[in-house]
Amino acid sequence: MNNASEYIVNFARGTRSLLVGMRATLRVFFRAKTTERYPENRATLTMFDRFRGELVMLHDEQNYHRCTACGICEMNCPNGTLRVTSEWVVDEAGKKKKSLVEYQYDLGSCLFCQLCVRTCAQQALGFLPTFEHAVFTRGKLIHKLNREGSSLAPKPVAESHTV
Amino acid sequence: MFDFSVITRWVDQLLRGVMPDAAATVVECVIIGLCLLLGYSVIALALIYAERKVCAWFQCRLGPNRVGPLGLLQSVADMVKMLIKEIIEIRHVDRFLFGLAPYIVIVASVGAFACLPFARGLQVLDFNVGIFFLVAVSSIGVVGILLAGWASNNKYSLIGAMRSGAQMISYELSIGLSILTMVVLSGTLQITELVEGQADGWLLFKGHVPAAIAFVIYLVAGTAETNRGPFDLPEADSELTAGYHTEYSGMHFGFFYLAEYLNLFIVAGVATTLFLGGWMPLHVPGWEGFNEVMDYIPSIFWFFGKAGVMIFVIMWFKWTFPRLRIDQLLRLEWKYLLPVNLLNLLLMVIVVVYKLHF
Amino acid sequence: MIGIDKIIARFPGTRVEEGAALPTLVAPPGEYRALAGFLRDDEGARFDYLACMTGVDGGEWLGVVLLLESTTSGERVYLQTGTTDRERPLLPTVSDLWETANLNEREVYDYFGIRFAGHPDTRRLFLRNDWVGYPLRKDYDADALVNPVRLESDETPDDTRSWREDGGEEAHALFDDEEYVVNIGPQHPATHGVLRFRVALEGEIVKKVDVHCGYIHRGIEKMCESLTYPQMLPMTDRLDYLAAHQHRHALCLCVEEALQMEVPERVKYIRTIMDELNRLSSHLLFWSTLCMDLGALTAFFYGFRDREKVLDIMEETTGGRLIQHYNVIGGVTDDIHPNLARRVKEFIKYLPPMLKEYDEVFTGNVIARERMTGVGVLSRADAISYGVTGPSGRASGWACDVRKRRPYGVYDKVDFKEIVHEEGDSFHRYLTRVEEITESLRILEQLVDNVPPGEFAVKTKPVIKLPEGRYFKSVEGSRGEFGVYIESRGEKTPYRLKFRSTSFPLVSVVPLLARGSKIADLIAIGGTLDYIVPDVDR
Repeated sequence: MNNASEYIVNFARGTRSLLVGMRATLRVFFRAKTTERYPENRATLTMFDRFRGELVMLHDEQNYHRCTACGICEMNCPNGTLRVTSEWVVDEAGKKKKSLVEYQYDLGSCLFCQLCVRTCAQQALGFLPTFEHAVFTRGKLIHKLNREGSSLAPKPVAESHTV
Repeated sequence: MFDFSVITRWVDQLLRGVMPDAAATVVECVIIGLCLLLGYSVIALALIYAERKVCAWFQCRLGPNRVGPLGLLQSVADMVKMLIKEIIEIRHVDRFLFGLAPYIVIVASVGAFACLPFARGLQVLDFNVGIFFLVAVSSIGVVGILLAGWASNNKYSLIGAMRSGAQMISYELSIGLSILTMVVLSGTLQITELVEGQADGWLLFKGHVPAAIAFVIYLVAGTAETNRGPFDLPEADSELTAGYHTEYSGMHFGFFYLAEYLNLFIVAGVATTLFLGGWMPLHVPGWEGFNEVMDYIPSIFWFFGKAGVMIFVIMWFKWTFPRLRIDQLLRLEWKYLLPVNLLNLLLMVIVVVYKLHF
Repeated sequence: MIGIDKIIARFPGTRVEEGAALPTLVAPPGEYRALAGFLRDDEGARFDYLACMTGVDGGEWLGVVLLLESTTSGERVYLQTGTTDRERPLLPTVSDLWETANLNEREVYDYFGIRFAGHPDTRRLFLRNDWVGYPLRKDYDADALVNPVRLESDETPDDTRSWREDGGEEAHALFDDEEYVVNIGPQHPATHGVLRFRVALEGEIVKKVDVHCGYIHRGIEKMCESLTYPQMLPMTDRLDYLAAHQHRHALCLCVEEALQMEVPERVKYIRTIMDELNRLSSHLLFWSTLCMDLGALTAFFYGFRDREKVLDIMEETTGGRLIQHYNVIGGVTDDIHPNLARRVKEFIKYLPPMLKEYDEVFTGNVIARERMTGVGVLSRADAISYGVTGPSGRASGWACDVRKRRPYGVYDKVDFKEIVHEEGDSFHRYLTRVEEITESLRILEQLVDNVPPGEFAVKTKPVIKLPEGRYFKSVEGSRGEFGVYIESRGEKTPYRLKFRSTSFPLVSVVPLLARGSKIADLIAIGGTLDYIVPDVDR
């Protein structure tokens, strides 16, 4: 007898739990949907400021950057993502100085660990919150970060920096 | 109410007028076959779209919305993709059986599909043991699934097919018994008569308690018959990747896919026919005005409307419940559904004998 | 308290080296096994938990360092042994004393070529069978020509070897020809990554499970030996990516402890808040994927819907979603975002109704309960022996929460309950995690308004060199104790670094739990153990 009542109680309890579940899903059925409609919402879609999308070199309006080509970022990068090409130039005072030729960055192997940005003594680097990075070939992931015709800023660096 | 037999009779007479009887019959068979297959695929496409939308809505998503307005052309695009995909030849398979299996599955479901009464006068197969024929034909499908699993020469497929065999055979019992319960109530096996008999009230209401029990059992067993969640063990994706159709590609897979959705429709259609009055409109005794308005709605809408509701309920099951384990699945059938079903049949007999129904 | 004198008296060959934090018992190979057995069984010692097993190439010797812990007293000790035979190193096994040593000794064999006499199954664990050399030895030839990228597939042998104490070799079969062996993985929807089980079936019943790891092995421990400490921080995030912040926390703590650096109170608060957010996101993901494994696909989306909110909170402050890169040695990269407190409070209000929804859809569901109750029962003794920590261990009745045992961050200042269940089955593993979500919310509630003012990082030297010694620090990751073992020789790179993986013991326990259950149960067991494969393979 005990078994029989247990059988019925279990059956009823089980059925009830199923109905409760169905009620819960039905409620969601009529609720507003949570997904975003990308790319339709592109105009309103903003990432958080601190989001790290890609590494950039900061340039100001006069096309000056602050990279002295010291190579600390390249040394610190755990993944060999950065390649700094520099040359020795002689300045007006006759001193030999390192000058940046090309700053190469491989987005495909970047870990976004920020070591380059954090260790840069000149604060020449920064991250942009962009996120649409899909390309068709790996070669396109290799970016040249110093802009065409840019040069090292003369000593007092301009305050405002755009990228 | 509009009777579709007017159209069919007119076509029949037209054909017989221009050609001998035998030729007319052949031509009619071809036309009917084409119409059936067309209806079959259109319904399958509609159901695939509906499933994806319903599932998305349950899951806080929007579902397909890229191809066509509201994503309406999504399943058409999918069909085109499936048609032009390569059917990959697999080494070490039994090629004949491997190729045969999807056709058996599709033939079984087309056969069952042909038995459904879509509207007044719109039914292909109708004879005195119609419902019996429907049950018999639809259970051929399991042979196809077993063959697919066996011929694939894949361990996942084989396990899936074995599960499917055990499951189908068990749940066939419940389906058969719950249908039998309703046959006892209506007193006929012929599908048109079954529907006609519900003009004054659907069997679900006429048979009250035993009919309601049979209805619930039929829904559960029907879901299991179609291998849908929570009874989708034969293709349990998290256990057997895709079960019996793991190795199939292109349109061979497409056949399984179509048959799955059509079986869903057939289960819903049979539930409609047996319990919800088929294409009969909803009549409430005493409400004459209401009944008249209801009569204006064509019978085909009634059938598809009711079937649609049933399909939604079955989808609702799938998108709510976790999957059962094989022993639990069998326990549910043999320990719960079957005894309840047998008692219910007895109850129905008592109800009918003592005229306790409405 | 272990009597060091007693040990010296009984094991005359054993020396004791006092370390910065813990003493090391250095045993000769002849005494190693007996000493290990003594440490495990002696009334005064009871080191029943093998927390971490590390192979070390000491230069002229090859050996292992075991970190033993007593679950009763919480005491820890290192046990070290080694052999000078670099050609055919052979050490006695301890895999019969601690089950977790089984796979760990295979790992040591794989990395160092040390064979363990009496170990039942000496095969490579992560690397291919045709790999030349033992990569973590200091004399390893890393030339790409020695181990080129091989394009042919690696045959999986059906037999294995073991060694006797006299150096003799025996082969034995893993699977008979008669057995119906099915591969679950490496490409399988329910293994949560590229993990491979070879499963011997009898119908639906699982007879035997053989775990194959290494499909996502990246050699992070080897890489770390040539990286500076700040450089190796991003590596920790790529072990258990769902507990990225917590794992990084462990490495930071370990380095800070070695440097005897005191971090500001604010940093501790921030790290604790982020740890708990990370735990929330991980447990929500666990819930979702478990539901999916058991076939409830809709529930999967509910979990992800809510996890998204946690990720947003973390992203606003740290700039990362899955992998945050937030902890650094001496602090964190940025101060917390001004919106953090508000958003966290909103989330604390938002989640409980959703948890109720979870209960309705899944926890209470009769099918879900039937699928999990009584499935894969892990006893407390087995949990300790296999080193199964975290929610899985706690579901078996082992109160192993590092946050309580060895508080770090500000866990000693917050009030929260350590969820412990006795049953040890899949359902209680599940329940433990669901209840921990509520506890995490409680912790956040207590912390988020009380972050003290101060610096968010202390200045560190440009080049960090750890003083000579061995250091171990563990945190409570989302799925168990995650430890970092560093052996430093005073360089700017570690001499040997080992991550005590949280998921490794979880995977090692699968064969025990799945034996005799059904295929569907194997999925439920895997789902509730909640292992993360990159953390297994490292």
